[in-house]
Amino acid sequence: MRVDPSYTTNLVGALDQAQLNSQQLSSELSSGVRVTSLSSDPLAAGENVLLLNQMLQDDSFTQSSSLVSGQLQVADSALGQVVGQLTQAVSLATSANNGTMNASDRQSIANQIAGIRAEVLALANSSYQGQYIFAGSINSSAPFTLSATTPATVTYSGDQNVNYLKTPNGQRIQLNVPGSQIFSGAGANNVFAALNSLVADYSTSATDTAQAVSDTTALGSALNFVSQQRVSIDNSLTQITAASNAVSSEQTQLTAAQTSLMQADVAKVATQLSLSETQQTALEDVIAQIGSGSLFDKLH
Amino acid sequence: MGTISSAFSIITGALNADQGGLSIIAGNVANANTPGYSRETPNWVENSPIVINGHTYGAGVTETGATAVRDRVLEQRLDQQQQLASSSGTRLAALNTLQALFTPDSGSASATAGDIGNDITSFFNSFASLEANPGDNALRQQVLSTASTLAGDISNAASSVNMQRSALDQEAAGVATQVNALTASIAKLNLQIQSFSPTGDAGSLEDQRQQDLSQLSQLIGINQVTTENNGLTITTTSGQTLVSEGESNVLTTGKVNGVTDFFVGGTDVTAQTESGGGSLGGYLTARDQDIPTVLGALDQMAFGISTEVNAQNAKGIDLNGNAGAAIFVQPQQAAGAAETMSVAMTDPSQIAAAAAGAGSGDNSNATAMADLATSGDPPILNGLVLPGGLALAAGQTLLGGLTPSGYYSGFVTTLGSTVSQVQTENTAQNASVVQLQTQNNALSQVNLNDEASAMTTLERSYQAASQVFSMINTLMAAALNLGEQSTVA
Repeated sequence: MRVDPSYTTNLVGALDQAQLNSQQLSSELSSGVRVTSLSSDPLAAGENVLLLNQMLQDDSFTQSSSLVSGQLQVADSALGQVVGQLTQAVSLATSANNGTMNASDRQSIANQIAGIRAEVLALANSSYQGQYIFAGSINSSAPFTLSATTPATVTYSGDQNVNYLKTPNGQRIQLNVPGSQIFSGAGANNVFAALNSLVADYSTSATDTAQAVSDTTALGSALNFVSQQRVSIDNSLTQITAASNAVSSEQTQLTAAQTSLMQADVAKVATQLSLSETQQTALEDVIAQIGSGSLFDKLH
Repeated sequence: MGTISSAFSIITGALNADQGGLSIIAGNVANANTPGYSRETPNWVENSPIVINGHTYGAGVTETGATAVRDRVLEQRLDQQQQLASSSGTRLAALNTLQALFTPDSGSASATAGDIGNDITSFFNSFASLEANPGDNALRQQVLSTASTLAGDISNAASSVNMQRSALDQEAAGVATQVNALTASIAKLNLQIQSFSPTGDAGSLEDQRQQDLSQLSQLIGINQVTTENNGLTITTTSGQTLVSEGESNVLTTGKVNGVTDFFVGGTDVTAQTESGGGSLGGYLTARDQDIPTVLGALDQMAFGISTEVNAQNAKGIDLNGNAGAAIFVQPQQAAGAAETMSVAMTDPSQIAAAAAGAGSGDNSNATAMADLATSGDPPILNGLVLPGGLALAAGQTLLGGLTPSGYYSGFVTTLGSTVSQVQTENTAQNASVVQLQTQNNALSQVNLNDEASAMTTLERSYQAASQVFSMINTLMAAALNLGEQSTVA
């Protein structure tokens, strides 16, 4: 049986292959990455794109939600102050309706209520980072303006538009309540109408008590209405926090999944590297031993 | 005739024959490392015996030359396997360069520069961020800068792929020159072999021809047909004649539609050469199959994203109260959209975050833009009229019903699988080549041990013959001196 005289060449080829193998394993170990090219694991590469996409979306939502939380908190505190002011106005009006006051006392009540009205107006025109938060979507200019007429009227120049923030799992969180809905509600829920009426009532010398009482009642129900509107803002805040937490934990899980998909298993790679190096050494010894002598060396 | 002088001539013949044998062995040892050399063995032929008056007298031995030890069938099989290995090897090299453009991002933190998948996500995330505060200029600027990064990376990838295509084109054209040189050489050798040894093995000429054939089969897919008088006809795997007897046909190149095509005579053989094997086959497969697939996917992605985003922006109102302008330069068709993808909008206030009819603080159009990343069939596509005038039917999408990230994910998986498959094929084919090469070497390569023992044998037989010669010489002298004392010793 004949043998290939150049088999040492094949051994050298095998040695090259073993060295290449060692090189690849060392680079995998040093970079810590298992999937260094698309062909190393095509499915993992594809899966990786989707995981990174999801992780980046979660990241972006976390940042947006802290932005939005700030805005909602400003709205919430503004409405809280409005409630405080209106409570004060109600107690002033009630005291003016008990029949013990004279015209000048009632005038001073009217002035105080006008002051409260100005405060509430300023709060209704709150802005956050240059945009008016109770204006719906026309938020580049103040939504509420007080006319100079007597009795004064308040006009709303915003719209009814509500913005929503979409969470990564599709939930929609309300970001604002239009000012007209809070302050200019239908019927007895109109804060400004009630305040304007009361100011008008107490400014006249002869107050129509029945009118004043019904206006005070209207103010009371408007106050409750404002409190209710505040609840939807608080709800949004709660939802944002919950969504943010859910997204954070999802991100942790995704990070773990992506890491285990793409990162090298250090123990396994180290073992393979050690085996490859052993093989290399063995091949080198074999090649050295076999040498390239022939029968010619033995003949004289 | 059984005389002493005839014995002389027989032994002289033997000495010559042994010398001839030794020179052949010397030739073998001298050429032990010559590539393509097949070891030669001497031919010993017994001379025809002479019959005189019914008595037969032997006439000795003649060494009639050398025969090269080769197995034509084995060599052909080796050539065919080298064709395949060379083809897949060349294609693999091209594919590795191609896939290096899309190396997966292994980090899990923020986006790695240049990764298209992350760019897509960051771009659509900028709209999601805009939902929180549509009037914020910094967030709007972010939309434009992520758009610009996305367009830049996609167009860079596309132009790299196009550059690779030209490089492959040039390399393929270069192969044609080498092929022509080899076919010309084989044709010449054919003539020489046919005139020199039409019936037997042609020794070193045959070796040279086999070397040329081996190199040729690594370049282009060929079929070999042995003809009469030791001739060889070589055709491409699809049947075009490259070499016939002493004539060789030139493989010419010419530009067709911007790429190099190959012709034999007047026939365009590009498509057949692509599937034929050899490195030319590998280059052409990479150029005409793999690269168009990748470019097609990039183009479709660029076209889909640009068109959807522009259409959705046009549906909304920007900060100035106008309908949204185009964010990306609108491509007219998918072909070529990737390389020319760029951002047209420079003023961030033109991003239409608000829906039509709402004030500028509305974010519903920004939400719709962000939804383009999560929906495979967003509402904007329903009935959308493409730049060519074609309107999309219900349910028809630009990205195969996938989200942009999903489309990119599918693309990288497909590319990775192709490369992986070619890698496996190439490894298997290389192993097969090594095996066949080993077999061929075992048969045809000079084994110094064999030569040493053959040399020793011939040496001994030469020694023996020369001993016989001196003995016959003594006999001759004795015969001449029959009975007489003389000077002849």
